Parts: sequence; C-alpha cells; structure tokens
Amino acid sequence: MSITAVEPWVEIPLRKFVEEARTVLGLLLHPSGQVVAQFGFARAVDVMSACALAAAIHASAGELGKQLDGKPFRGLHHPGRDRQLYLAEAATPRGTFIFLTVFDQESSLGLVRLYFDEFCKSLAAAAPAAPRRVEPVIEERFEQELNRNLSALFGRG
Amino acid sequence: MSSSPFASVLAALTRQRGVRASLVVDENDGIVVDSNLQIGQDGDRVAALAASLYRKARLSARAAQLGTATFMQLEAERGRICAAGRNDLVLVVVADPAANIGMIRVEMIKAAGGLP
Repeated sequence: MSITAVEPWVEIPLRKFVEEARTVLGLLLHPSGQVVAQFGFARAVDVMSACALAAAIHASAGELGKQLDGKPFRGLHHPGRDRQLYLAEAATPRGTFIFLTVFDQESSLGLVRLYFDEFCKSLAAAAPAAPRRVEPVIEERFEQELNRNLSALFGRG
Repeated sequence: MSSSPFASVLAALTRQRGVRASLVVDENDGIVVDSNLQIGQDGDRVAALAASLYRKARLSARAAQLGTATFMQLEAERGRICAAGRNDLVLVVVADPAANIGMIRVEMIKAAGGLP
C-alpha cells in the first residue's frame, strides 16, 4: 500500500493504521479541504474530489450536529453494499484534521473505530510541538496550496 | 445491568468462575450489541477483535470444507477469548487462564443456539 504525506510526521501513524485496520483508501485533510496525506488513491484528481467532498460533508455534519445536539457530530459511518466509509475528526497540537477512510469486508466498523482511536493518539503524539499559524479556511493561496500538496503526493503538478 | 433480550444469557455466562466479560457482538460490524463486563474490561476493543477473528475462523472452516464453525477459542498468556456464533451474532467470553473452559464452552454453545 502506497502512502504519501505532505507533512512527514503523519506518515508513521498513518502507516500503522493502514496495516492494522486493513482499510483500502484513506485521506487526511485540513477542514478547509487541503490534503495532508493519502493512501490507496491512484490519481490526484480523485484525491482532490474526495477532499472537497469530505470537507463539505464534515462541515455539514458539524452544523447539523450543532442544530440537533448542541455540538458538532464527530464521526460519520456510511455502509455501502461492498464498501463502507468512515469519516471523523482527529485533534492534534497542530489543529484538527479530518480523516476519511474506506473499507471492505476485510475490516469492520468496530476495527476501524478501534484503530482510528489509536491513530488519533499516535498522530497527536507525533505532531511537532510548535503550533502552526491559524489560517483562514479559504484564502487567496488556496488553489496554489492545493496544487502544491497534490504535486507532493503524486509527483506532478 | 443490561435489560436487553440477551441480559439473562450474558448474566449466566458471567456467573461462570473466571469469566471477566461476556458480550453479544455483531459479526460483520464488530460492534457490541449487549455486554456484561467486569471493571477494567474494554468491551469495544474485545468486540471488534473477537468478531474479526471469529469471522475469519468461520470463513476458513468453510473454505477448508470443514463445515460450520461452532466454537472458537484463543488461549493467551493472561487469558482466553471464546466465541460462538449464530446468524450474524457472536457470543464472546473473556476468561482467566484458569477458568473451567469446558463448562464455559457448554454454556456458550447452548446460549448461541438461542440467539435470534
């Protein structure tokens, strides 16, 4: 399984998650939709689409949770016929990330949730201490940053 | 204390000497349906891992043309995990190494037969 990460400290926790949870696809992204790391994707355009959709779903679920429950929903599970999707937040000293993973019959929701909790802990432990500057969700350089990250992951512009 | 349809089955299993936890788990999702746990037992972790093991054992038995798996036991240094399933549910017991596994096995197979 090929894992690529824009931020190197993400790679070891993500690799451990992939090996243990046996999921087939994964994405770690900023809530703005910018990709941080991926595994299982072959094309940059698929990562770009998945990031945009995951960020939108996360934002919608968060707002829905606030209206229904007074606080944002933290996790989402969507079972398909052959594949299932799990999307949840991972908090680190560098801020909150969104994690999206897709799994099939080789894994289960229970295993994914179990190893996701461990992934969150190891991600938080691996995150460099210095907090990043808090940036606006959408900024002038968004597209430039997105393309830079995709180039870093897939080796082309 | 649980008041689900599985409460009496789980209580009977947990009464066996050396049993630390008993759970009814969804085999496909690895999610706890109901449980009776002693303090310190992580039900979600046991459920996810035991259901995954049981499912793989059941599929392996079928692939090896051994028929339906009725009971699975994992012995480890500090305890045992036993599983018995029916349809999409798995009955899981975590027990001490010194527990009377024969009695637990009999109770589990009997209880698994009563799962919906």
